[in-house]
Amino acid sequence: MPVGPSRRAVLAASAAAAGALVTGCRGVQALGTPPPPSPEVRLLRAAITAEQLLIARYRVALTQAAAAGPGGHAAVAGLTAIAGEHAAHLAQLSARLVIPPGSALAREPKPSAGPAALPSGLTSAIAALAADEQAAAARLGGQLLAAPGSLAQLLASIAASEATHVPVLHALGRPA
Amino acid sequence: MSSQTVAALQAVLAAENAACYGYGVVGSHLTGTGLATTADSDWVAHQRARDSLTAMITAAGADPVPASVAYQLPAAVSTAGEARALAVALEDGVAQAYIGLVGLTDLTLRALGARGLQSAALRAAAWRRGTVAFPGLPAGSLRS
Repeated sequence: MPVGPSRRAVLAASAAAAGALVTGCRGVQALGTPPPPSPEVRLLRAAITAEQLLIARYRVALTQAAAAGPGGHAAVAGLTAIAGEHAAHLAQLSARLVIPPGSALAREPKPSAGPAALPSGLTSAIAALAADEQAAAARLGGQLLAAPGSLAQLLASIAASEATHVPVLHALGRPA
Repeated sequence: MSSQTVAALQAVLAAENAACYGYGVVGSHLTGTGLATTADSDWVAHQRARDSLTAMITAAGADPVPASVAYQLPAAVSTAGEARALAVALEDGVAQAYIGLVGLTDLTLRALGARGLQSAALRAAAWRRGTVAFPGLPAGSLRS
């Protein structure tokens, strides 16, 4: 076992010293490549991006449903309810992700939540959303195996919620 | 299998035992309605899950938690609507038990928990005629 200050402490101290030296010229970027984010942070980021994309797609479908007139009323209500659940998923995932300013992740470009293109025609758009939900649930089902226990439970719950959206969307997409 | 793992499986078995009892009540109030078939097939699904959990716990060298002779129902059931509400309550209880398995490090049991949770959530949504954002998670576990 090494005696004296740990490698981590020494690294932190020299990093702080280097930071002090370069302050005022090139900022913290001059310290070189920061350590990569933990797998948990990666999982959270992926799940957050997936929810943002789904919400954007529901927004597009809601515009289509609203444009369909009285025939789209049931779809508007159904899609609004499901989009609300995705907003709740996103809020819970976001509450678990803390990105310190200046960290590698804070400087990474934010993943874009688009494109949110859906097939034209409300029935096709709703069918595409049902496929999205199925795929999202399956993806989370794989990701939760790599997550710490409590995050795995949240991901499993979100996956189950997404799976329940599929039959609702199929019913909404069926002509009345 | 660790004692923590066996305890988590016993909790799921206890919830499945309660569901097997409860679906008997649910089905008896839905006879002749369009929901009788659903009640029957959901009942069978819980019986199969109970048998498979019993086998897993026995294989781990533990005594499976026995079913009670009778269970206190969350509310009296005398109408089809109350029977549906009982089915929702039973599935919610089962979902909460399965999510306990998802918290374990054993990936086989974690996957089993996720599958059980999803099945319970799908059955609950059908009985509830609506969906919820966080099946299986008690409200207190969510961050405000």
